[in-house]
Amino acid sequence: ITTVPTGFEHTAAEEIKEKIGVDARISKDRGRVFFPITTDKLFQVHLLRSVDNLFVVVEEYHHYQFKESKEETLMELQQLASTLPWTNALEVWKQNGTLKKKKGHRRGGNTAKSKPNCEGVGGSMASTEQQELPQENSAPEGWAGDTQAMETSTQDSDETGHGSKLIKFRVTCNRAGDKHSFSSNEAARDFGGAVQEFFQWKADMTKFDIEVLLNIHNEEVVIGIALTEESLHRRNISHFGPTTLRSTLCYGMLRLCKPQASDIILDPMCGTGAIPLEGAIEFNHSFYVAGDNNDMAVNRTVNNICHIQKRRADKGSMSGLPIDTVQWDLCSLPIRTSSVDIIITDMPFGKRMGSRKKNWDLYPSCLREMARVCRPGSGKAVLLTQDKKCFSKAISRMGGLWRKQHTVWVNVGGLHAGVYLLKRTGAVFGQTPEDVYESRGAVHMQGEEKDDKELS
Amino acid sequence: MKLLTHNMLTSHVKGVTKGYPLLIKATEVKVNEVEFNPQFVSRMIPKLEWSALVQAAEEDLPGELVADYETNEEFLKKVHRILLEVEVLEGCLQCPESGREFPISRGIPNMLLNEDEA
Repeated sequence: ITTVPTGFEHTAAEEIKEKIGVDARISKDRGRVFFPITTDKLFQVHLLRSVDNLFVVVEEYHHYQFKESKEETLMELQQLASTLPWTNALEVWKQNGTLKKKKGHRRGGNTAKSKPNCEGVGGSMASTEQQELPQENSAPEGWAGDTQAMETSTQDSDETGHGSKLIKFRVTCNRAGDKHSFSSNEAARDFGGAVQEFFQWKADMTKFDIEVLLNIHNEEVVIGIALTEESLHRRNISHFGPTTLRSTLCYGMLRLCKPQASDIILDPMCGTGAIPLEGAIEFNHSFYVAGDNNDMAVNRTVNNICHIQKRRADKGSMSGLPIDTVQWDLCSLPIRTSSVDIIITDMPFGKRMGSRKKNWDLYPSCLREMARVCRPGSGKAVLLTQDKKCFSKAISRMGGLWRKQHTVWVNVGGLHAGVYLLKRTGAVFGQTPEDVYESRGAVHMQGEEKDDKELS
Repeated sequence: MKLLTHNMLTSHVKGVTKGYPLLIKATEVKVNEVEFNPQFVSRMIPKLEWSALVQAAEEDLPGELVADYETNEEFLKKVHRILLEVEVLEGCLQCPESGREFPISRGIPNMLLNEDEA
């Protein structure tokens, strides 16, 4: 299974089909994608750009019958631990471990000698921003992804250890559903206890070798083992800003707009440059211009670009990326009219950055400016915003320039946001009623907006 | 700043009508290796303001595009180098009409205007 940013499950399934060649099943527990692979494909799975975390399924129950009482249910979970088909999954985990070590030494390649079939596993959506630095080598870092459901992990206080190689583990339990008699804490504790008994592993919250996942969503129960140690979602960014988007979300947005060869792609509010950088790496047949008005933002962007280029140079490949950075004012872009093919950006959120009031004024003027530079007829925009009301309102006033084509709902840092795919109409800028009206009566428009605000 | 980007940048100082192309005054230039993709270059050429590129490149690029440039690999490689591999790290861009200079530092052109210019 892999976890993906909620809303982008189909994108992930597409990438999986494209790069691994298997059909993926999207779990109704949002944010998860399941797919079957043989272990020789494990390495490729780690290269997927739209997935956050990977797990291998130990067992899956679609209609698990929970007992009535809490005690009985927990008892059953404990018994479950010793009856599960661990062998295959553990074998995959072992092979994955050697794979990661190889990755650490910058040598790719699969290690599979035997090929047990494994069911790929999904994971939970990590929606909080995490501040740890991603490294090329996998450093053991305990992470806690959270989902829409409650999430917790636990450990047992006892330890036994004999045998030369003592394996340390922890159990993470995600539970969703209102008919359960127990909490995820309790489930993790009891299940974990039984696992420990069965394998004689040592429980350790922070320095663990194996992470066992217990996922309960209404009647669906999945037990899995983690294959990724750190979330893949911050892979490109070494210099964070306050609201850096995770790479998997950037990738999802880029796939949505389907960049073509020689497309000119602008991010006029780039922040730390996460989106254009992901584009320059993964969809490198297009050209990216990252811009922001803020000093720190443009400098961080350049730092991030340099960091990646250095990494590539160290590996011996050509380091140059098709990306540039400019400092500009988004409402007055120093760009030739109709010269841009795609605009892709994360628009300031009312709550996380900027303010609601500012958005009311900002959104219409920046949408107009974006329409001006965007190529009529073929141009597109992919815009992420949490301020859906303000955005929808602004867009509805620009039917002559922008048409909504598709919307994806996502979860960013615990907040619900929308990714809007817009098409630029064929209308030439400066001739639609909106811009003529705007340029003549800018003051009037603002007044009108204020009235709406009072009403709504 | 790469020359491909320069090809799109204009001066937007208030009142200026001929703000393109910006004049490049470079004090530090770097050349980076970027993977060559002939399709990228040949598809990009029609999107460019060719004369502005010729002016910016200061190298012998033909003033007019030859026919069949799409298949002329040597030509495409030359254009590739000029568009993507040459970078202006320090210097400035000058508005051809107002003379206003926009500084370039660490490869980043600062196109922000003062209040009275906007």
